[in-house]
Amino acid sequence: MKYILILILMIGFNYADNDYGYKAYSKNGVKPVDNELYQNECSACHFAYQPGLLTSKSWDKVMTNLDNHFGTDASVLDEDYNLIYKYIMENSAEKAMDYKRSRRIASSMSYISTTVDAITKTPYIIKKHDEIPPRLIKQEEVKGLFNCTACHTQSKKGSYKESEIKIPNYGRWDD
Amino acid sequence: MKILLILFCISTFSFSTVLEDYLNDLEKKVLKEKPTFKGFDYKRGEKIFTSTHIGKRGKEVSCTSCHGINLNESHKNFFTGKMIKPLSPKVNKDRFTKTKQIEKWLKRNFKDVYNRVGTNLEKGDVVTYITTKE
Repeated sequence: MKYILILILMIGFNYADNDYGYKAYSKNGVKPVDNELYQNECSACHFAYQPGLLTSKSWDKVMTNLDNHFGTDASVLDEDYNLIYKYIMENSAEKAMDYKRSRRIASSMSYISTTVDAITKTPYIIKKHDEIPPRLIKQEEVKGLFNCTACHTQSKKGSYKESEIKIPNYGRWDD
Repeated sequence: MKILLILFCISTFSFSTVLEDYLNDLEKKVLKEKPTFKGFDYKRGEKIFTSTHIGKRGKEVSCTSCHGINLNESHKNFFTGKMIKPLSPKVNKDRFTKTKQIEKWLKRNFKDVYNRVGTNLEKGDVVTYITTKE
């Protein structure tokens, strides 16, 4: 009996809310974008990344550098800036821990001491993509890790399941 | 009340477009800087749009890198790979309908390609080119 109890406890610990939060999320993926201004302003140039893909600390870094946004001037009007900033801060990864991917991204930040300024620099995203050959990432149809929609066919809905991946000139990806 | 409504309808018909207003406004500014100014020029605009420069990223780019040379067609953003809808208001009715948008994109894209903001003369020339090109 004692052994069974210990066994149950051990299993419990294994699945409890550790750094990667194996059990504490209730929804898959990340919360889909539900702000029209955010959607329009960001998607003018690229996929409107869900705010839940990065922590608020990192988003703040991104947002304070909009006039040099990955080499491009992406500055917005002051009134729009404030609304967009507010939306991001209220929906960043650590505020959306009920979503699996947000939880894992936020938790992975504890492995580094710096504040990253890109989703592609978060430990979780790096780890999840480390087995993909660089040529598939650098190819013209993808251009870089930043281009979620190139392979994650349901990313616009906030879904990043492995079964939904389709890499150009390669196909389905099986880990 | 009825008269007011009718007046309002007539006035909106006679009002110029956002684009015309924008260009007229720019023209006034240029005239102040340069009284001999003779009007915006398609050819100068074409040169602004198609010539290459060392842009903000330190790479040689032109406006056509992202918008293409046929302004009636969509074109891929050189850096992000995202499709950009046609620039020409002839095929894309949403273009040049909001002054704020026009200003925002001219500011951003001049910085991207020229690494500085455009002058009033340059802005007028390039907008003239984009909006009248066949």
